[in-house]
Amino acid sequence: MIGESLLTPAQEQANSLVLGLFLLTAFGMTVARQVQATLLAFVAQSLLLACSSLVLGLHPLSVHLLALTAVTLAGKVLLIPWLLRRIVPDAVYSRRELSQPVNITTSLLIAMALAIAAYFFSVALLAPGTPVLSAGNVSIGFAGLLVGWYQVAVRNEALPQLLGILAMENSAFLAGIAMAPDFPLIAELAIAFDVPLLALIVGLLTRALQERVGSTDVGALIRLREGGEP
Amino acid sequence: MILWAIVALPLLAALFAALPRTERYVLPVTFGCAFGVLVLTTVACGFVLRDGHTVAIAQWVGLDGFAALLELLIAFVLTTATLYSWGYIAATERSALRIRLYAANLNLFAFSLLAIPLVVEPGLAWIAVELTTLFSVLLVSFDNTREALEAAWKYMTITLVGATAAVLGFLVLFWAMRSAGDVTFTYSELALVAPRLAPSIVAVAFFLIVVGFGAKVGFVPLHTWLPDAHSQAPSPVCALLSGIETSAVLYVIVRLMPVFRAAPLLHADLWLLVIGLIAAGVAAFLIVQTRDYKRLFAFSTVEHMGIICFAVGLGTAAAAYAAVWQMAAHALTKSFCFYAGGGALAATGTRTIAEVRGLVGRAPLAAGALFVGALAVAGAPPFAVFVSEFAVARAGFASAHVAVVLLFLFFVGVAFFGLVGHVMHMIFGPPKAPRSDAHTYRLPVPARAAIVIAAIPVVVLGLWTPAPLAALLAASSAALGR
Amino acid sequence: MRTAIVLNLLQVAFVMGLAPLFAGILSRFKEIVQSKRGPSIFQPYRDLAKLFAKDETVSDQATWIFRFAPYLAFAVPIVVTTLIPVLTSFPLFFAFVGDMLAAGFILALGGFFSVLAAVDTGNPYGAMGASRTRMVSFLAEPVLVMVLFAVAFVADSTIPYIVQQRWVTPPASLFAPSHVLILIAFVMLILAEAGRLPVDNPTGHFELAMIDESKSLEYSGRGFLLIKWAGWMRMLVLCIVFLNVLVAPWGLAPDASLGHVAAAVPLVALKVIVFLAVLAAIECSATKLRLFRITEFLTAAFVISVTAMITRAFSL
Repeated sequence: MIGESLLTPAQEQANSLVLGLFLLTAFGMTVARQVQATLLAFVAQSLLLACSSLVLGLHPLSVHLLALTAVTLAGKVLLIPWLLRRIVPDAVYSRRELSQPVNITTSLLIAMALAIAAYFFSVALLAPGTPVLSAGNVSIGFAGLLVGWYQVAVRNEALPQLLGILAMENSAFLAGIAMAPDFPLIAELAIAFDVPLLALIVGLLTRALQERVGSTDVGALIRLREGGEP
Repeated sequence: MILWAIVALPLLAALFAALPRTERYVLPVTFGCAFGVLVLTTVACGFVLRDGHTVAIAQWVGLDGFAALLELLIAFVLTTATLYSWGYIAATERSALRIRLYAANLNLFAFSLLAIPLVVEPGLAWIAVELTTLFSVLLVSFDNTREALEAAWKYMTITLVGATAAVLGFLVLFWAMRSAGDVTFTYSELALVAPRLAPSIVAVAFFLIVVGFGAKVGFVPLHTWLPDAHSQAPSPVCALLSGIETSAVLYVIVRLMPVFRAAPLLHADLWLLVIGLIAAGVAAFLIVQTRDYKRLFAFSTVEHMGIICFAVGLGTAAAAYAAVWQMAAHALTKSFCFYAGGGALAATGTRTIAEVRGLVGRAPLAAGALFVGALAVAGAPPFAVFVSEFAVARAGFASAHVAVVLLFLFFVGVAFFGLVGHVMHMIFGPPKAPRSDAHTYRLPVPARAAIVIAAIPVVVLGLWTPAPLAALLAASSAALGR
Repeated sequence: MRTAIVLNLLQVAFVMGLAPLFAGILSRFKEIVQSKRGPSIFQPYRDLAKLFAKDETVSDQATWIFRFAPYLAFAVPIVVTTLIPVLTSFPLFFAFVGDMLAAGFILALGGFFSVLAAVDTGNPYGAMGASRTRMVSFLAEPVLVMVLFAVAFVADSTIPYIVQQRWVTPPASLFAPSHVLILIAFVMLILAEAGRLPVDNPTGHFELAMIDESKSLEYSGRGFLLIKWAGWMRMLVLCIVFLNVLVAPWGLAPDASLGHVAAAVPLVALKVIVFLAVLAAIECSATKLRLFRITEFLTAAFVISVTAMITRAFSL
């Protein structure tokens, strides 16, 4: 790992635990069949992100990270689930995805392989010794990014795809709080504002899909392909 | 002050659209604001040419040569697009709520587009790009058909996935910069410290940003959303998306090139060269086989983005000048093409090329505009795109990359024949009556005026470059670091 | 030497004697959670006594395996008991004969012969249940091996006594992510190996849905007694491995004085009872998985254990 760390051992321990559970929620989101279960896994993941930034921001005291904690809690843990439940019709939540392109067992193994690949990659990235607040955050951040991308690629339902995108953002920020804890505050706040906006707009789109097409199975939307129906 | 006014006007127009019972005035007001933005931007460009840059908040918001040029392009395309929207919505939309929604969305989209060149700090630039995606998603799905919703969903998914990868790229870049000392996170300062940054970290940032934002620009193979979104959206929105938005995102990537060029063993130029060439090639062949004329123009956008990327990747100062010229010419020409396409859609009610023949008899304005537009965007002389593509080729030969330039010329040729062939099929020949279930209407005056106004720079700029424009182009290519 | 033999016998007696009690306590917990009264916690002893007095009926198609399997199944948990820390935290003399991997495979040996015996009689339900049991066991093995690998990463050994010293004694490591993930994976493993919900319903009577219970369908009298008792002992052995080695090594006798060992008995029993309460909660809130979803369940356990190993390998 990197030379001497700025964190206390207790912080490191607590942060490690949060990171391990973060990766678990990323896996859980990818394979949860029910739409509601995917949403709960996302809330858990955002909560863990807030915990990580809280733990890292306590000592040395960083206003940036504490502000990010508050914003994550308000935006991702509270606001987005509320928004999504309000905007998207209830019929969507009771759905279970019965057919995925790749079955759950294989999905889990692929997601695991991606996480392992991301680990090796992040170790190579950290090798030159550029100082970072917590190396684990970078590794799990990249792993979460790949697993979230895989989720967007492999899920057929609208909301799990959106939650995959949000999971990728969670992971990007998990890596970011360790790499760039003093990223300009204005930018971070604006990004935090932008995420609920994303949920709002995509929720509206999902609602339109449900109303117009009758289902939110976006995997079945294949009319606009070359050689498809004109 | 001017810079704040530029972004404030669309916001005010959006607020106006939020008020009830404004549906009759909301689109004219939008056009008025867009015109105001154009005037303000021209004044700002004047300041930039006089002082070298104009600044609102140091190291956060400001314009230099390149940014001023892009802002001017955005403002002009916005003006014609809002004018066209005025006519388009008047003819196709009756619901007051949907009219106001469209106007509000369009203004917010305009705000986010105008913000991209204004910000000097890459984190804010990312936010602006993300906002353009968010505000255009509902515009793409505005028609509310199955295809439009599908197009909007694909657009949203692929673009947002890319944006998330890009934000990690920016964070990684910030991390690399932090370890090089106390530097502020702006384009110019990054370029200054670029040689001191850890090469592997810069490489990771490069890939994340190019792949992430590349999805939004339309690099192959992440381009699959582009023909869908840029054809299913209403025509003025297509003009904005194709003409300006992809260019604006490419602007952000290109702005960071001085940083990536300084990384040894990364060969950033070579990567851009290859990516651009692949995009141009794939798009050229897709142009030949497409069956829908709006998709035709969308593929042409992919091709032109590839050409700009290719030109930046050539690396010389002449190539940089050609790239910026291409960006400007493409923005003006492609928006005009989409207005023409919108005219054809109004006259025939179908997007399929095979169902349209003899348009010159039915809708002479649309047919004429299509003719001029297709020739212009395919790169025929004496239009602006021909000049810029010629400049790219010349820069390429001068920099001794002869083989790739020949390949580039081949792709341009294929696209030329595809574009012109399809459009000629549509314009000439015995007229074909539209299908009985096709929704045709007469294009209202504002839309026709937009087509005519948009035609002016397309025709004029190939023959004559006004001196201020040339000065802006020179300043832009200087900002590209060569 | 004599003390060592006495201590070993005490351990075996603990496991053999208290296994029915813990089985009774677990079923009582489940009944209470479901708002019923439930049978007395000593009911399993009465069942054993009843079965001891009954006659055995053996199919004439059965071979020696049928008669032999119950004895083997009974002996297996007893052998494993001598390998693991049940009452003492210092190694007894069988401790280095086998490590946790060996314990796992000895348990698998008993399971293998039970499965053979189930097929032996020609009862179709027996064969069906046998193939299902094999599927669950074969999927559970990678999980077991991964858990042991992860444990070995930390403790540099898979001997249970040594692992217990190094794995969980420093209190800070209790919350290490690899630790937490191993615990989750191992609980899922216990649910699969011991035939508990959500993998299998131990109180079900519907032969078409049985996995573990089908092995004992054909047995009666003393054979049945041995199979049942062996099942309870197996469950207790898994719980003890989980608790004493991985989770909570406290309460074990630090030296050979009989007083300490006698004090360890109620403490270990208390730990097991607490774990059984947790297990009852899990069982009462989970529905039985469809057969093909058991693969997903165990793959999830596998992925969790691999994640635990990775977090440990990269020193998170």
